Parts: sequence; C-alpha cells; structure tokens
Amino acid sequence: MIDGLVRILVFQGIGEIAAKFVFPLVPGPVIGLVLLLAFLAWRGAVPEGVELVSGAFMRYLGVLFVPAAVGVVMYWPRLEQHALAIAVALVGSVLATIAVSALVAKLAGRKDADAA
Amino acid sequence: MRPEFPAIHEIWVYLSGSPLLALVLTLAAYQIGVMIYERAGLHPLANPVLIAVTLIAATITAIDMPYPKYFEGAQFVHFLLGTATVSLAVPIYKGLPSLRGRLLPLAAALLGGGVTSIVTAVALARLLGADETVVGGLYAKSLTAPIAMGVAERIGASPTLTAVFTVTTGILGAALGRFVLDAVRCREWWQRGFAIGVAAHGIGTSRAFSVHPQAGAYAGLAMGLHGVIGAIAIPWAITALR
Repeated sequence: MIDGLVRILVFQGIGEIAAKFVFPLVPGPVIGLVLLLAFLAWRGAVPEGVELVSGAFMRYLGVLFVPAAVGVVMYWPRLEQHALAIAVALVGSVLATIAVSALVAKLAGRKDADAA
Repeated sequence: MRPEFPAIHEIWVYLSGSPLLALVLTLAAYQIGVMIYERAGLHPLANPVLIAVTLIAATITAIDMPYPKYFEGAQFVHFLLGTATVSLAVPIYKGLPSLRGRLLPLAAALLGGGVTSIVTAVALARLLGADETVVGGLYAKSLTAPIAMGVAERIGASPTLTAVFTVTTGILGAALGRFVLDAVRCREWWQRGFAIGVAAHGIGTSRAFSVHPQAGAYAGLAMGLHGVIGAIAIPWAITALR
C-alpha cells in the first residue's frame, strides 16, 4: 500500500512542479492525474498498491471536501442575499446540461450507428 | 481529599486549541452523514457531504469557533484532496475501454454538456443579479469536486463556494436526472449514464450505478473526462475571454 501511495505522491509532486513552471493555468494534481493515466496506459495494468490507495480515496472522496465546504459559514449573508439567483442557476443549469448531453449523445450516436 | 480535577471549561480551552477537535468533528460528522445516507437507502437527497457540512457549520457556530480555527485542524483532511485527484486516474483508466466505438457521440455529448453547464449557470445567475463572487463559484460546478476546487483556485474564484455549488449540483442532478432523461426520450443506458456523469459528477455517478451497471460505468467515465478536460479548458477559456 505504501508503494502505491509513494507512486501517487510522486506523480502529484511532478504535477505540482509542472503547474508551477510550465502550465500555470492547470491545477497541479490534474497534471499528476494525466501523467499517472499515461503511466497506467504505458504499463497496461494498474499496480496493486496504486489500486489499493486509489480505491480507498474513491470510497471516502466525499469527506475530503468537507473542510473547504464548511467555509460556507463565511459566505452565508451573501448566499442569502442571492439565494434566488443561485437556486435558479443551479437547478436550471443541471437540467439543461443533462438534457443537452443526452440529446447530443443520442443524435451523434445515431449517426455513428448509421455510418457503421 | 479528592484529587483536583480540571474544571470542564479548562478541558475545553485545551481541546479547542488543538487541531484534534476539528479533525474529530470532521470525521464524526461525515460518519453520521454516511449512516443517515445508508438508512435512507442511498437516496441522493441524504448526501453525506451535505449532512456533514450542515452539522459542522451548526456546531462551530454554536461553540463560537471561527472558520479559520476549524480549518487549522481540518486541513489534514483537506490536504489529501490533491492526492485523491491524482488517484482518479485509476477509475478513468479502467473506464477507457467503454469509449471504444462510441468516441464521437461521447466527445460531442461532453463538449455540448460542458459548455451548456457553464453558459446556463453563469447567464441565469447574472440575469438574476448575482455578484461576481457567486458567479465565479459556478464555473467549475459540474466538475468532480476535488478538481473543481483546484480549478477555482486557478481562476481566482472561491474554492468554498465552488465546493458547495458542486455538491448541490451533484445532488440535484442525481435527484432530477431521471425525469429530464425521460422527457427527452433518452433510453439507452450508456447515454443516460454519460449525461448524468457530465452534469452531476461523482454524486450522479453513484446514483447511476445504483440504477444500472452500464449507466454507472459511463457516468464514471463522463465524470473523469469532464474533470480532466474541464480543468484544462475552463481556466484557458476564462483567461482568453477576459
């Protein structure tokens, strides 16, 4: 398990350095993710340690963003003030996003099937 | 003669000065959230993150603990976000075979959904008079939360608001997705799952898995691809448009 954690941390570190010096717009961990993905594709398999650590993180992913989300207490007055705008934006946007993604997949999928 | 025990408020002063309290509070609240979520039959509205945040916010308000003080202890949990983000490579890698033969419709759906998500959220919020801080928190809200918060930092938006909007989006998408998909007459499991994954990331994905394994696999793939591509495209697009 430790070997998996070390591998993941090394990719995170490379990602952070790349973000700092080469791609300032991309979050470092995302660069680390892409590099790890490339490494997995090159190896053609997921090393056991990496699999274990990743599985644990995926299971408890939710708890990791709790500390930042609790910061909502500092935004409370602002959220109350704009409650209607936020509610409409969130609900409207998620409905539109699902509808558009589904319709595009359906239409493009049909064309794909015709071509095949 | 009884030994001298410290008064309760002395214990309190000691505890509230150490990071332990915030750490225990975070994990315990999440554990309670998970228990309620399981009791509720994994219903998306009983989201464990939402329950934990509500419990912790109420507690630190009640005991007068300022947020920065809470975060001092909770940062040990927060720190792991980056590492968890890197680990997302594993589920994405495992989902890649699902792309075979469907690359075009999936890429098109991701692009259409991703753009729709940002444009509609920002337009609606601006139209109804939300300020720029609130609008900034909406840009990354359809990405998976750990990536969304990283993107928020890059574009100068609040990671906190982004996290809250992201979790809310996931809950809404998981709860309402079925009705939208039925309304647009989308019947294939792979299309249904993918659409939910694009819009509602991890929370939508776990919902999709509970409905159908193929829907879940495609939702997970959509969440991963949207996260990676969004993290690269959103900061770039925002910088280019500014």
